[in-house]
Amino acid sequence: MSYVDELSRALAHRGIPRATRRRILSEVDDHLRSEPDAQERFGSPAAIANEYAADLGSHACRRAAFVAFSALGLAGAVYAAAFVSQAFANPPTETLAPTLGALALAAMVVAPQVSFVAGALALVRALRRRGRAMPTAELTVLRRRTLVALASGVVTMGALALYGYEFAASLAGWWSTATYASATSAALLLLAASVPAARAGRIRPEVAGPAGDVFDDLGLAGGDPWHFACSVALAVGAAVALAGIVQGDPIDGLVRGILEAAACLAGFAALGRYLGLRR
Amino acid sequence: MNEELKGHLDSLILAVLAAEPAHGYAIMQELKARSGGAFDLPEGTIYPALHRLERSGLLASGWSSASGRRRRVYRLTRRGRARLESRKREWGAFSRAVDAVLA
Repeated sequence: MSYVDELSRALAHRGIPRATRRRILSEVDDHLRSEPDAQERFGSPAAIANEYAADLGSHACRRAAFVAFSALGLAGAVYAAAFVSQAFANPPTETLAPTLGALALAAMVVAPQVSFVAGALALVRALRRRGRAMPTAELTVLRRRTLVALASGVVTMGALALYGYEFAASLAGWWSTATYASATSAALLLLAASVPAARAGRIRPEVAGPAGDVFDDLGLAGGDPWHFACSVALAVGAAVALAGIVQGDPIDGLVRGILEAAACLAGFAALGRYLGLRR
Repeated sequence: MNEELKGHLDSLILAVLAAEPAHGYAIMQELKARSGGAFDLPEGTIYPALHRLERSGLLASGWSSASGRRRRVYRLTRRGRARLESRKREWGAFSRAVDAVLA
């Protein structure tokens, strides 16, 4: 088997896209024809293929995170517009099925928060590692964050449409129609934004190194991620409780603050390791 | 030497291409010639670096035909030239500081 054939196999093994592979092989072929002895000094095909995969994989994962965050920004605008415009669309009182109505409301509260946190974490990590090849473990974490953010975004849009359907009897018709159309468009946009992340997953470099944790994201000196999570939960809970006090309902604010802090910790326990917040 | 060189390969490629556009093989030859043979990386490692620099907008490339052969020729972009100048300044300051300590 010739050197170029070996390199071709190694590149395919690492998941380098076909067009890029063709270009690499064409350049290498030209180089080797320029000086037949160069083959001995060219380096191992596996090592060269891995170097390409490390560069391309990191670039593709970072790009996927940027694309996802942009799409999430648009979906967030749809969500905010639906939320604000609902004030002019009669209060939602009657639901077709109370269980589905409650489910839609719960998803509309939880899913956007998961989506925002995962998307923001993906963006921060992508920005921090700009211009550098990342270890395989870190690429996995970055892709997971991106996909979790997009999936939660799709769930949010689905919940919004379900909410519009469940409370259609009491909400204004224009609001339901606008919500169906915008939520469907945003969900399709989010699905399209997941394509770069799926493609990035096909490139498989082998680069040793840790996946990092929340302190790598924030550029802080290392510490105990659980202490950090407790501090964030406390701060978020206090902010929600304070908002309740300002709105003149301290008991409700306190209850919501405790629930929000508990949700923060539950999210960290459930997804912290998966999303690379703790090792 | 080669491990240290890897950290500076991008700047060295930009410096070689500052004179004139060239293809991968010629860049490698020029690197060896200018360094008096000291920089002797596995030749294949230059291509991932060239592709990375092109993706970053520091290089541009295109196919050219010479003697019936197609070659990918790389040239410095305006951004690449600016990056090279800034790297030269950084390296100058760094090497002067190291020289001062070692002297």
